[in-house]
Amino acid sequence: MKTPRIDIFKEALKTGVVTKKYPFEPVEAPEGFRGKPSIDFEKCIGCEACVNICPPNALSVEIDTKRGIKRVMLFLGRCIFCGRCQDVCPTEAIKLSREFELSSLNSKDLYQIVELKMAKCKICGRYYATVRQILFTAKNVPKDQRPLLLLCDECRSKVSAKHISYARW
Amino acid sequence: MLTSITEILNLLKKYGKVEKIHKDTYVVEISPGKVRELCEILHWKLNGHFSVTVGSDERPVNGYFGVYHVFLLDKQKLSVIVHVKVNPVTLKIPSITPIIPGANWHEREAHDFFGIFFEEHPNLERLILPYDWPEGIHPLRKDVNVRELRYKLLKKETGLVVEKKAEEEYIVPIGPYHPALHEPEYFELYVEGEKIVDARYKGFHVHRGIEKVAEERLTINQVPFIAERICGICGYTHNVAYCQAVENAARIDVPLRAKYIRSILLEIERVHSHLLWFGVLFHLLGFDTGFMMTWLVREKIMDLAEILTGNRKNYGMNLVGGVRRDINEEKIKLSLETLDYVEYKLRKILDKMLKLKEITSRTKEIGLLSREEARKLSVVGPVARASGISTDVRRYHPYAAYSELEFKVPVYDAGDVYSRALVRYDEIFESISMLKQLLKNIPKGDLTAENVKVPEYRKGLGLTEAPRGENVHLVITGRENKVYRWRPRAPSYNNVPSTLVMLKGEKLADAPAIIASIDPCFSCTDHVVVIDVRTNVKQVLRLKEIARGK
Ligand code: SF4
Ligand code: SF4
Repeated sequence: MKTPRIDIFKEALKTGVVTKKYPFEPVEAPEGFRGKPSIDFEKCIGCEACVNICPPNALSVEIDTKRGIKRVMLFLGRCIFCGRCQDVCPTEAIKLSREFELSSLNSKDLYQIVELKMAKCKICGRYYATVRQILFTAKNVPKDQRPLLLLCDECRSKVSAKHISYARW
Repeated sequence: MLTSITEILNLLKKYGKVEKIHKDTYVVEISPGKVRELCEILHWKLNGHFSVTVGSDERPVNGYFGVYHVFLLDKQKLSVIVHVKVNPVTLKIPSITPIIPGANWHEREAHDFFGIFFEEHPNLERLILPYDWPEGIHPLRKDVNVRELRYKLLKKETGLVVEKKAEEEYIVPIGPYHPALHEPEYFELYVEGEKIVDARYKGFHVHRGIEKVAEERLTINQVPFIAERICGICGYTHNVAYCQAVENAARIDVPLRAKYIRSILLEIERVHSHLLWFGVLFHLLGFDTGFMMTWLVREKIMDLAEILTGNRKNYGMNLVGGVRRDINEEKIKLSLETLDYVEYKLRKILDKMLKLKEITSRTKEIGLLSREEARKLSVVGPVARASGISTDVRRYHPYAAYSELEFKVPVYDAGDVYSRALVRYDEIFESISMLKQLLKNIPKGDLTAENVKVPEYRKGLGLTEAPRGENVHLVITGRENKVYRWRPRAPSYNNVPSTLVMLKGEKLADAPAIIASIDPCFSCTDHVVVIDVRTNVKQVLRLKEIARGK
């Protein structure tokens, strides 16, 4: 009786060696691969959209209220490469790349930190938003309302409440 | 014999208030006294099958705990959820395990996590919580906060639970690491010479507490990503099941194109998962050529998934309401080419491998599971189909784009390891055929539903046919864009207990192949670790368990 063993053996011989000599030979990820995210420091406005959406808290934010600095921090050690940050970033500052080799001897290599200057509220003097964020929002706000952007949320709502009550008066 | 849907609904109405929660899915709220009677009718008389029991702490909403027994009636394409309100003081309801042995683990889990007592349960011991977990803390209750709990446990306010004595026979411990599957599990085989006379299982070493994380911290659209990580092989199916559960609860209509894309990826996942299984089986039987060759073909499927989704395994394609990425013409062409190649290769090699005497003699009539036992334990997927039960969520409770496809559900009667291989073999080619239909007929349209709003406190059931069988997610939506309760039940949860039946009377040398034949996926079954178990906790468990083997 013919045994299938010979055929299997032939097939195996025909296949030959397929293992790549990685890491001594490069392996490339295909286009559209969701690899290491990186933040473009020039483009980030510190809006925190990515921080809010990130499922595993790989992105976080820290505000230095004394010096008026906002830090957006990406820690790759927690990243699951889902790409949600890229979906929501209004300025295309954060994007996933095709890079996947993240191992490093220094854990600092796994952090990306953007430091952004904040602006003070014109009324209460509290730091409330990054300068870039205000400039970015200003583009989409009618000219006459732009001064309101120079106020923190609280003061702004007080002021606009006043406007409204005046109007009702 | 009742058969039509109206007759069944009338019957349910006799037992309590019936509410339709979404298409073909009904909740019947009944008093604890009647639960056994109704469950018996649903599982045995109507030939439905018990799927999952979900405990839930609803005290903040209605003052009660809730227990939901989910039954699927394949013939009528119905899902019936039996809801019992549990008095928060007495915490007692009758157990259904005496009539449906498959409910054993489910009820013990609800006992662990919510402190609900199931009266007349044959063995209401801890299932998931570790031995030294403090008495009286039920982690999925809404008044238990993870941070406080962690603090408490680190201070070791714990009392050890006394263990049972080991039996007389000689004990061969396998695990906590299975030699083949690299996942923590623990089997105790009691042997007389070569023959296995009894078997025990202790799992849930890798419970990750993800239900708690999801309910406490994540938003509705963050959960799909953790759901995907329930399983390291077939995660996408959990991702889909969760999204479907929420979509059903919120009555969101997913566009057809998105449904097609979901089905495409689900079938890609099935093919790679089944090929992985064949590789593992061959490897366990010492046939490494077979292992290498099937995995080589599998690699093509993995590459395809990577091109379509951006990752080999974690597709990350779903959000509630649709999918995130499109599949363009170029990718469709590439997929079809890959499938042709895979089909050609597999026909050439797998056919022959399954005829090898080395394989047949070690799988035929080994690891038997009769239809009767399979029904008792309510096993699912290829394990059920190899024991003569025709069940398949894709056929009987169609989701995604499956109602548009033509496919067969392979069923074999022998109930041995070989039949389980044959079911999977057939399914690979069915999947390839389905994939071709999907890729050729994918309609144009949107990728996500327009209006994705999730109302609070709605229930939704999400069903998928995972490579390992029926996968069920029950979701109760919560406030502020969160889930109130999410219970994923992976297929292995129902299948693992059947290995104990299969092992009895077999030779020790066949144990690995038998255990692997259900394609166990222990991490999915352990879909939760209740807390980060500290090293000393683990040691207690291991030392004791291993000491038993001395
Ligand atoms: S890819 Fe996902 S996990 Fe990683 S930073 Fe972006 S949102 Fe967070
Ligand atoms: S990376 Fe984008 S989303 Fe994140 S803070 Fe910067 S601008 Fe906002």
